[in-house]
Amino acid sequence: MITLKNIEKVYQTKTIETVALHNVNLHIPKGEFVSVMGPSGCGKSTLLNIMGLLDEPTNGIVEIDGNPISRYRDKELAHIRNQKIGFVFQSYHLINDLSVLDNVELPLLYRSGTSAAETRRLALTALEKVGLSARTKHYPTQLSGGQRQRVAIARALIGQPEIILADEPTGNLDSVMGEEIMNILLDLNRQDGTTIVMVTHDENMAQKTERLIRFFDGQQVSDAKTNAYDYQKV
Amino acid sequence: MIRHLFKLIWNRKKSNFLLMTEIFFCFLVLFGVMSLVVYNVRNYTKPLGFEHDNVWLLTMRPSADSAALNHQKLEQVVQQVRAYPEVSHAALTNSNAPFAFSQMTDNLSYGNKRSSQADHYEVDDDYEDVLQVQLSQGRWFGPEDNAAHHKPIVINREMQRQLFGEEEPLGKLIPQNDSVNYQVVGIVDHFRGYSEYSAERPAFFTRISLQQSDKSFWGELLIRVKPGTGVAFEEKMVQEISGIGKDWTLEVATLEKMRQNKSKLTMVPMIALGLVCGFLILNVALGLFGVLWYNISRRNGEIGLRRALGASANQVYRQFIGEVLVLATFGLLLGVAFAVQFPLLQVFEVESVVYFLALGISVVVIYILVVGCALYPSRQAATIHPAIALHEE
Ligand SMILES: Nc1ncnc2c1ncn2[C@@H]1O[C@H](COP(=O)(O)OP(=O)(O)O)[C@@H](O)[C@H]1O
Ligand SMILES: [Mg+2]
Repeated sequence: MITLKNIEKVYQTKTIETVALHNVNLHIPKGEFVSVMGPSGCGKSTLLNIMGLLDEPTNGIVEIDGNPISRYRDKELAHIRNQKIGFVFQSYHLINDLSVLDNVELPLLYRSGTSAAETRRLALTALEKVGLSARTKHYPTQLSGGQRQRVAIARALIGQPEIILADEPTGNLDSVMGEEIMNILLDLNRQDGTTIVMVTHDENMAQKTERLIRFFDGQQVSDAKTNAYDYQKV
Repeated sequence: MIRHLFKLIWNRKKSNFLLMTEIFFCFLVLFGVMSLVVYNVRNYTKPLGFEHDNVWLLTMRPSADSAALNHQKLEQVVQQVRAYPEVSHAALTNSNAPFAFSQMTDNLSYGNKRSSQADHYEVDDDYEDVLQVQLSQGRWFGPEDNAAHHKPIVINREMQRQLFGEEEPLGKLIPQNDSVNYQVVGIVDHFRGYSEYSAERPAFFTRISLQQSDKSFWGELLIRVKPGTGVAFEEKMVQEISGIGKDWTLEVATLEKMRQNKSKLTMVPMIALGLVCGFLILNVALGLFGVLWYNISRRNGEIGLRRALGASANQVYRQFIGEVLVLATFGLLLGVAFAVQFPLLQVFEVESVVYFLALGISVVVIYILVVGCALYPSRQAATIHPAIALHEE
């Protein structure tokens, strides 16, 4: 699904040079639920941005479905993001002036050939999946954090992406709400076979995924199947 | 996408309210100024109905002598002026000579039809030649009118239209008062003597006959001089005329000079209004630019999000341009609703087409203005790097 080869990411500012990622090699197979852990500032978000084609590595190759992504124009990158990738952020990034339904529909706005009626139908289905059918007309500010994140997940899955990249999706939530979000992601992975890469600070959450990659200072320090892996695959 | 933009602007109507009102007022002012400009330009491009090059106006204010004596001297002066080889024609007129600051208005009636306010020009037989008035039907005044039973009258097309409609106008009798009638002898297509910027309105000419009114005095003599005639002749002429009309006050002006003065009367306020309007628009433009600029930094997260969801840089650019267009459309809808009241209610006596032209121009100008203001901020929004826009600590 996604392969990273010798990824190097260096942020160059006037005064300092930050090596955010160094020599990262990863392969995320289709259908896997991977979690990424590591202290703050170790490059987890940078990793997700590079996987999600929001940022370019300084060196190295990103492959999506076996195709190396290099020299792609902005328009083509946007197209791949729209078709294949769903994003979930720690701070939800909902547009407060749009209703829940309109927020969920956003990705399809950038996908030509989906009729308004079809878009609406897909949005309602996505909201149903995250258990928010009753809140379609609400605005984000009228929802709890957990509900907002569920809207964000509905938005991430409306376009039926092959992979969801979630950057600390439960970071702003209490444990109960975090649990809810985690269960939705697990269902998505198990039922729809969606590949998920999730950054988290929560060891328990990480243990529920199949594979855990630890980062330190821009480098992978471990990459192992969790106990849940055996449990799931049996 | 358009629906999305309308929804977005509509939901943000509170924060966009100020901008919309600004656009609304800007449009109204622009519409007002444009109406004036269109009105003036349209009038300016219509024919005047006469030629003013090489025509001078000699203004004479008689002395305290008896009316009969002044009349006699006036006859002498006219004869003298016509005799100069430099002069091709000279004609007496009432004080409302072309481009003079004087108007004489009257109405004419025919049957139960009554004309609107009309310009009344009292002129003599040579007026046609001096101003090279083009008659489209009939004839100008001449000696044959001396013995005429009715007073001859020449009217313009507009007057003809108002009094006679489609009927043949020549020979028609128009009552001047209970006992005297005018008889139409000629028609001119156009005559706008007051100003190049005045609208065409009904006008008529009646005849001055110096010989037949022996105590009357007309103080304005229009003189067509041969091309190239200059001040030397003017001085000579004035000197010789003061020899006849002793103690008369004499003044000579070229119609060209008078035209320029008259034109200033329209141009100066128009330019002043234009400047005020220009400053207002500049102000609105700067405000708009500032707000759009500020909005982009405020909407960093949204921009990053849209990029992540699959918007290309170009789509972000087009979205921001689209948003101001929608914003302007809201302001303009309100403005147009106001503006169309002018032609609908006919507040002033102005053709509706003037308003509609002004409306069209104003709408286009506002759209160009807002897009112009949005270009740079939108370009800026499009170049924001999504990873940086989404960066969270
Ligand atoms: N746009 C940027 N410019 C400069 N430095 C950056 C930028 N984004 C991230 N960094 C730096 O790169 C490192 C990794 O950041 P990040 O991937 O956000 O870490 P994490 O998500 O693991 O907390 C940090 O030291 C951070 O300061
Ligand atoms: Mg991070």
